[in-house]
Amino acid sequence: MNLLSILIFLPIAAALLILVLPSGFQQRFKYISLGVSMIQFVLSVFIYTHFNNTAAGINREEQFQLIEKLPWIRLDLGSIGKLEIDYFLGIDGLSMPFLMLSALVMFVASLASWEIKTNLKAYFSLFLLLNTAVMGVFCALDFFLFYIFYELMLLPLYFLIGMWGGARREYAAIKFFLYTLFGSVFMLLVIIGLYFSVLNPATGNHTFNMVLMMDPGNYINGSVFSAMAGQSILGISARLLAFIVLFIAFAIKVPIVPLHTWLPDAHVEAPTPVSIILAGLLLKVGGYGILRICFSIFPDAAIQSAWWIGLIGLISIIYGAMNALAQTDLKRLIAYSSISHMGFVLLGIASVTTEGLSGAMLQMISHGALSAMLFFLVGMIYNRVHDREISNFRGLAELMPQFTFFVMIAFFASLGLPGFSAFMAEAFSLIGAFTSEDVNGLLPRWMAIGASVGILLSAAYFLWTLQRMFFGQVRLKGGDTWKDQLVDVNTREKFALVPLAVLALLLGIFPSLLFDKMNASVLALVQLITG
Amino acid sequence: MNDLIPYIPSSIRDSLASLSFFSAEISLILGFLLVILADLFFSKRYPQLSFILALLTLLLVAYQSSGFLKIDSTPMFGGMIIMDHLSILFKLLFCLASILFVLFIRFNRAFQNHDKGFGDMYAILLAVHLGLNLMAMSANLLMVYLSLEMVSLGSYLMVGYLSTGQRQTEAAMKYALFGAVCSAIMLYGMSLLYGFTGTLYLNDPAFLSGLNSVPVMASGLALIMVFIGIAFKLSLVPLHFWSPDVYEGAPTPVTAFLSTAPKIAGFAVLVKFLEIFYDPGSKTLSSSMLDLNYILAFLAILSMLLGNFVAIWQNNVKRMLAYSSIGHTGFMLMALFIFSTSGFKAIIFYMAIYVIMNMAAFMIVDEIEEKTGKQNIDEYKGLGKQNSLLMISLLIILISLTGLPPTVGFTAKFLVFSSALEAYNLSGSAILLIMIMIASLSTVVSLFYYFKVPLNAFLRESPDPVKLSIRSAKVYMGIFLAFLLLLLIVFPSMLEQLI
Repeated sequence: MNLLSILIFLPIAAALLILVLPSGFQQRFKYISLGVSMIQFVLSVFIYTHFNNTAAGINREEQFQLIEKLPWIRLDLGSIGKLEIDYFLGIDGLSMPFLMLSALVMFVASLASWEIKTNLKAYFSLFLLLNTAVMGVFCALDFFLFYIFYELMLLPLYFLIGMWGGARREYAAIKFFLYTLFGSVFMLLVIIGLYFSVLNPATGNHTFNMVLMMDPGNYINGSVFSAMAGQSILGISARLLAFIVLFIAFAIKVPIVPLHTWLPDAHVEAPTPVSIILAGLLLKVGGYGILRICFSIFPDAAIQSAWWIGLIGLISIIYGAMNALAQTDLKRLIAYSSISHMGFVLLGIASVTTEGLSGAMLQMISHGALSAMLFFLVGMIYNRVHDREISNFRGLAELMPQFTFFVMIAFFASLGLPGFSAFMAEAFSLIGAFTSEDVNGLLPRWMAIGASVGILLSAAYFLWTLQRMFFGQVRLKGGDTWKDQLVDVNTREKFALVPLAVLALLLGIFPSLLFDKMNASVLALVQLITG
Repeated sequence: MNDLIPYIPSSIRDSLASLSFFSAEISLILGFLLVILADLFFSKRYPQLSFILALLTLLLVAYQSSGFLKIDSTPMFGGMIIMDHLSILFKLLFCLASILFVLFIRFNRAFQNHDKGFGDMYAILLAVHLGLNLMAMSANLLMVYLSLEMVSLGSYLMVGYLSTGQRQTEAAMKYALFGAVCSAIMLYGMSLLYGFTGTLYLNDPAFLSGLNSVPVMASGLALIMVFIGIAFKLSLVPLHFWSPDVYEGAPTPVTAFLSTAPKIAGFAVLVKFLEIFYDPGSKTLSSSMLDLNYILAFLAILSMLLGNFVAIWQNNVKRMLAYSSIGHTGFMLMALFIFSTSGFKAIIFYMAIYVIMNMAAFMIVDEIEEKTGKQNIDEYKGLGKQNSLLMISLLIILISLTGLPPTVGFTAKFLVFSSALEAYNLSGSAILLIMIMIASLSTVVSLFYYFKVPLNAFLRESPDPVKLSIRSAKVYMGIFLAFLLLLLIVFPSMLEQLI
């Protein structure tokens, strides 16, 4: 059994264990879930330390690490040849960091799951199923397998939001589900088109191998997505159309403005652990998909669309930040700030420069940790008094000094204070966007300049919130009862917050911890896209 | 008269030679007689004898049919029927549906407690099954009509079998009337076809050349009339009007059966007709006289749109499943645009999964209705908390019906999409692309109504929760089939090797 398979299927095994255990054990289920994510974290650290920095991966199958490849479905399709679907896992510099992030975020989410009191068996089974799906998405190199894991994420999330969510949970859950499914059903059509077009040179079969799809030489002459054939569908170049379809599917996950409206609803209604996973991991699946699939398989179309993607990133940054300024609900504010921060990822990717792509990757990891931290902090307040309206709190710093300390770390880190990871990430994304005009001429300079306004805005909403909620005289809507309920951070919560804060600080001071690991892959990716 | 005498020995020889290939059908006939006799003479002493006989017959038929799996195309009885690999696959699918149906009736309370007994039902089923088998093999217009009527008559009886209330009587009446009109139109169309071509044999070259020699208006009209008869069996839009009422009114096992086996047989006949028009060179439907691509795509689009959108507004579970099955029919039609192994593989795979999904869904719905009387989706509130195993199984089945991983419904959907896209690739006709896109969209729509069931069952609370006992054979079957749906996505080769 390969390390990656263990990483993926350990949670499923634990979920089965939970399902067969009698309900008398239900108070222990959270420890099972916590234990699973701790084992995953240890494994991912092991993978990190044994990772070969020089192997690029991307479009070279032999350079992927921890490869596991088993034939899965072989269907003889008569005239058009044989269908080849593999159970194909492997990692490179693009996916390895996400494994660590997933394990860490799942660990924090497990700690946040202490707040769940009802129907624990169902909750932890779904939670672990989601864990499997997320790990699977980051490891899969077969498009069919990727799609299965990608869709598998939706079901547990639907029920996690729908069964343990807030007042409007039904609406939020189905909205999230329909939005994402809308993107992915069309993705399925592109996948089918791709396997028609791509042959595995070694076996002569139609293949779903993503790595083989990146090589123009494997495309059948005259097939739909062959770059040479230049076929068009409904008047648009087939490759561009496929790129757009895939981009929209992933962009819904990221999310981009204007496809973001599911996100605030889902976050506000979801219980804290689910919000943490949504912001910390699910949004990253979108970004990862854009890099691994959209840009790698359709580099020509990516270059064509880079300007638009940059613009979408810029709009998301500004629009998300402006919306965050206007929110009165703390959780909604953070949800909008996520949209804004994920805009930097798009901007960095669109620049197709080494700096930009590294910045985008770092931003995803950094935002994964910081948004998990922010949602955890919001969840702490909400758990204590069941309210999170900003105007209902004042002077929290006096009541909860330690809590305020963590909030300040999270806020300052998020708004891009030097020394924290978000600063490095956003700086690199901006550098990438700024130099793009000279390097490859894809993005104009004003996009980078516009995006830096976003940083300013994020400073504004974070600082303003800090001032409104934490400083000044203690004044609470719930009066003295709230005062008693608002106890400071307990040990469990410290266990969750400290690793996240340390990661944000570590990556801010030593970004090379991550850059070194992914540099070869990023260079190879830039090389692949710009040709 | 005397002129025909020299032909008699050869035709007798041919018929006798054909009999060896006809063993499955002979077993059905014998089984049919045995079940009637058993029900007449032994129903008091051994009430379940007819059930056991019917089940054994079906198992035997399945075994016998699978023996011919590797057969080349073999004409029998002077070319009236042709047995080939595809028809054997269809026959196996009928066996799957019938066996599940027999088990379903065995454990359905309404049938078991019926005053008139349930033995006749098994006899009717075997007769219908014979008709289905003949439909799948027929190669002659008369045979098509005869077998189709055989299935229809049996189905009318099935729908009205219990006639417990107004609604069931109405459903049976509606079904019979609508069916009679459709088959009359079909017969008229066939007589026109015979007039144009001078032959009743579908595979006769004179058939196609005869059709091509008459004006498109005439041949098109005759063909459309025949298609009306087939579309009635398939409940394709615009000939779907009967299906929601019949599905809702009929006893649930019968609904489950009607939404699967006769539909599959309808596809078998449709394939026989389309086979004439496939152009072997391009492997797609040739459009020399009548743009069949266009008509089929149009029907598929209409069925998917109407079936899926109207299903959103249904509150009765059986009615919702009825509309969704109209949508599924439209979806399956997409695999017929291409005459190749991949197209047939896709449709057979889809149908096999569809039989499992539909039967399982109706079994669980029936169980809930029997135990609690709940028929409407909004009455399912809070069922999930109390009966998690049952409702999770139903959820898996519904996910599979939607066509999402991790269930094999996804693989099936995927194969149909593949064959439709291949057809688009080969023909480049825009209507196919539009059809494929509508199919994708209808997946999203179908999620919305299928998920109303788990929405009520899991997300909403009920003031008075009901706890069902899962100790019931139907529930075990439903759970087993749901598990099968999960298993088959990991090991699709279990099914695929048969095809």
